[in-house]
Amino acid sequence: MTEAILQRIANDDRNAVKDCLDKYGGLVWSLARKMLRNSNEAEDAVQEIFIDIWKNADRFDESKASEITFVAMIARRRLIDKIRHSTRRISADSLEDILLEPSTRADKKMQTGLEAEQAAEAMRNLRPEQQQVLNLSIVQGMSHQEIADTLRMPLGTVKTHARRGILEVREHLGLGGKQISREVQL
Amino acid sequence: MSENKQEKLIDLLIKKAVSGLDEAEQHELDALDSDTASEFRSLEMTAAAINVAGIAVDEPLPAHLYTKIAANAEQFVAAAEMESSPWSPAKPRHQEVEREGISWFGWLGWAAAAAACIALALNLWITRTPQNNQANIKPPTAIPKVLTLGEQREEMMRSAIGTVKANWTAGNVKEMNQISGDVVWSDEKQAGYMRFKGLPKNDGTKETYQLWIFDKTQDKATPIDGGTFDVTSDGEVVIPINAKLKAKGPEMFAITIEKPGGVVVSKREKLAAIAKVENLSS
Repeated sequence: MTEAILQRIANDDRNAVKDCLDKYGGLVWSLARKMLRNSNEAEDAVQEIFIDIWKNADRFDESKASEITFVAMIARRRLIDKIRHSTRRISADSLEDILLEPSTRADKKMQTGLEAEQAAEAMRNLRPEQQQVLNLSIVQGMSHQEIADTLRMPLGTVKTHARRGILEVREHLGLGGKQISREVQL
Repeated sequence: MSENKQEKLIDLLIKKAVSGLDEAEQHELDALDSDTASEFRSLEMTAAAINVAGIAVDEPLPAHLYTKIAANAEQFVAAAEMESSPWSPAKPRHQEVEREGISWFGWLGWAAAAAACIALALNLWITRTPQNNQANIKPPTAIPKVLTLGEQREEMMRSAIGTVKANWTAGNVKEMNQISGDVVWSDEKQAGYMRFKGLPKNDGTKETYQLWIFDKTQDKATPIDGGTFDVTSDGEVVIPINAKLKAKGPEMFAITIEKPGGVVVSKREKLAAIAKVENLSS
C-alpha cells in the first residue's frame, strides 16, 4: 500500500510537498472559489491553506479520515475564517446558478475518498430541503441568514434543516456516537 | 447538563463546523464547554465530507498561482530541513523559546529555520497582491544570512520604518510580578519580537502563553492573536511574533495564560504581562 502524501510530508520527503500541491491543488482551488466567490481572496486563501496543510501533515491519521477529507477540513477552517472576516456578498445573478447546483456531483473528476462517497449517499436520502440547506451552507459557504433570505424560509427552519441534515449524514458516516447527540434525541 | 443546554451546545458545535462562530457565540460555547473536542471533530469531518461530495473539481489551479505555491513549497522544505538538521533542537510542537545563552551551533540551525520561515511568510505576503508582476518574483535560491533572534530584532529595529516599541509590565498574576523586557513591532515588515526577563517557565502540556495585539484597526474585544509560545528555561528570552492577521497600528500587547494550543477568544483571566505602546521610531 502506498504511503499517503501527508505521511510522506511528515516524514520529511521533500517531493511530497509538491505532490500534495499536484494532487489537491484543483480541489483546494475549487473549494476556495466556491466559498469565497472572489478570485483574489481565493488566491490568497489557497496559498495559506497549503502552508496549513504542510504544517499539519503530521496530524493526519488515516485510521480516522481519508486524506482528501483531512485536506478539505484544513481548507474549510481557513475559508470559514476568511468568510467571517470578509465583506463577501453573493450577487443576485449568481444566486440562480447556486440554487440550481446539485447537492452531490456525479461528474466528479477525482476520487473523493470513502467519507465523501458515504456522505453523498447519505445526502441523497435526506429530504430535498435538507439537501438544499446543507449544500448552500457547507458547499457554497452561505450563512443561515443568507439561506433564509434566499429561500424565503424562516431562519429557525433553516437551522433545523441544517441540524437534522448534518446529524443524519454524520450518523451514516458512523461518526455520531457521542453522548451529546444521543442525549439530545432522548 | 440540562436538555436545553445540550441542545444549545450541539447547535453551536454544528454552526462552528459549518460556518464558524462569532465572538458572542464562541463565548457562549466556552461557557457551556464540556469535553466537546471529539464531538466537534466528528461534525467538522462530516461537513468536510459533504463538501468534497458536493464540489465539482472542474478547474485546475491557475498556473501563476501554482508557481507561487510551488515557490512557497521550496521554502517550506528548506525550513523543515534546517529544523531537522543535526544543529537544530527537536521540532517544537509550536513556538518553543530558545535562550540567548545556548551554543552558537544550536542557534545556527534554529535561526536558519526561522529565517527560512520568515522568508516564506514574506514571500506569501509579497506575492499575495494580484497586481504583482510575476516576472519580478524569484523563487528563493539560498537561505538568508543566519541571525539569532536577538540579531533579527536589532536588524528589524534598524531597517524598518515606523517600528513601535513598548515595555512589559506585570499583569494580574501575583507570581509574575517581576516581568520586564519589551516588544517591538514593524507594520512595514509585519513582524516583531518580544523580549522577556522574569517570565516563568511553563509546562506546555498544561498551559501556554499567548500574545494578543490590540490594534487600532480592531475592536478592543477582538484583539489579533499573536501566537502561542512556551518558556522552557530561565533568563532572557526573545520570541518572534506570529500575528494571525495583519496589524496596522498596535496600541497595546498582552500575554495571557491559556490551555495548550491557545484559544480563539481569551477570557483574560490570567494576564501575565501588558505592554502599552510608548513611542514611534522614525
